[in-house]
Amino acid sequence: MAQENKLKTGPRESVNYPVQVVYCGNCTMPIEYCEYYPEYEKCKQWLEKNLPREFEKVKIGDGSDSPAGDEEKKRQKRGGKGIIKTKKKEEGPKQVCVSRAPRGKKKSVTVVTGLSTFEIDLKVAAKFFGQRFACGSSVTGEDEIVIQGDVKDDLFDVIPEKWPEIDEDLIEDLGDQKR
Amino acid sequence: MFKKFDEKESISGVLQLKSSVQKSIRSKILESYPFLDTYLEVVLPKKDAFKIVKCHDHIEIIVNSAGEQQFFRHREGQWMPTLRLLHKYPFFLPMQQVDKGAIRFVLSGANIMCPGLTSPGAQMTEVPKDTIVAIMAEGKDHALAIGKTTLSTEDIAKVNKGIGVENCHYLNDGLWQMKPIK
Ligand SMILES: [Zn+2]
Repeated sequence: MAQENKLKTGPRESVNYPVQVVYCGNCTMPIEYCEYYPEYEKCKQWLEKNLPREFEKVKIGDGSDSPAGDEEKKRQKRGGKGIIKTKKKEEGPKQVCVSRAPRGKKKSVTVVTGLSTFEIDLKVAAKFFGQRFACGSSVTGEDEIVIQGDVKDDLFDVIPEKWPEIDEDLIEDLGDQKR
Repeated sequence: MFKKFDEKESISGVLQLKSSVQKSIRSKILESYPFLDTYLEVVLPKKDAFKIVKCHDHIEIIVNSAGEQQFFRHREGQWMPTLRLLHKYPFFLPMQQVDKGAIRFVLSGANIMCPGLTSPGAQMTEVPKDTIVAIMAEGKDHALAIGKTTLSTEDIAKVNKGIGVENCHYLNDGLWQMKPIK
């Protein structure tokens, strides 16, 4: 029986490993589980945009024997609510802030925050700044990089050049931090 | 296990492993999952330097040199694969299939109850108590959780109430959402 085969342990001869599973860009689960995600509509939008062929299948599946209806019957027999949490939302809008902070009497450093709202790896970014400006640069907080030098004005050109998704308008100048 | 896990708060440290420790972990994993066999060389290459991420609540996670989470364990328990790894090599864990109605509960982190494993839409592979298993679902191709049986499958069928499999890791829990560790 095909059903029995499905659960068999051990590699299948007809399959090449590793298996490439298609994950949803919205809920991150394999797309077959999107229907259980609280924001299923957003998953569908993602599917329509990125995997139109799969989206067509979903539309067909939405017919009479939809899993939701099926489940409604079974649900009543079970206790608990089975609430699936949505992913935590990214805090606040996507924005990078730059400011100048004094260091000693004459020197200043530049503080960059908000890069992680663009899903940028901070360590990689810190290294890039260090190389670009030939100075020390390190990750100093959850979403903070300190560049040892006054390079604030240059950042408005350098950041959009390196990460095109960050428009110059999305970089906020916080000016000089007081001591 | 990872219901309240948060990668920002729950990680206490990252350790580079000595090659001798690495070797013993590899052999332990192979012992637990003989079907991994030649694939282990791809999953955890001998020459690769992997790391252990120590987390709160006695959880440890093995990360390969690319930063991907591969296996995890609780206290000194058995190493269990992450779902992302299992999706690539789905054959090395015994599979237990829950019915459609149980899916939403499993995805919310609930343990797997016996009736969800014995109803018409469900199906079990015979295993003893305390076995690490993949939780599959009726009508779906990929695992949605990884668990540990609290009863043998024989007893699950016989008792048919209460918890049958402890839900250790499921889609969209804290481990699933963890970013690669650099
Ligand atoms: Zn989705």
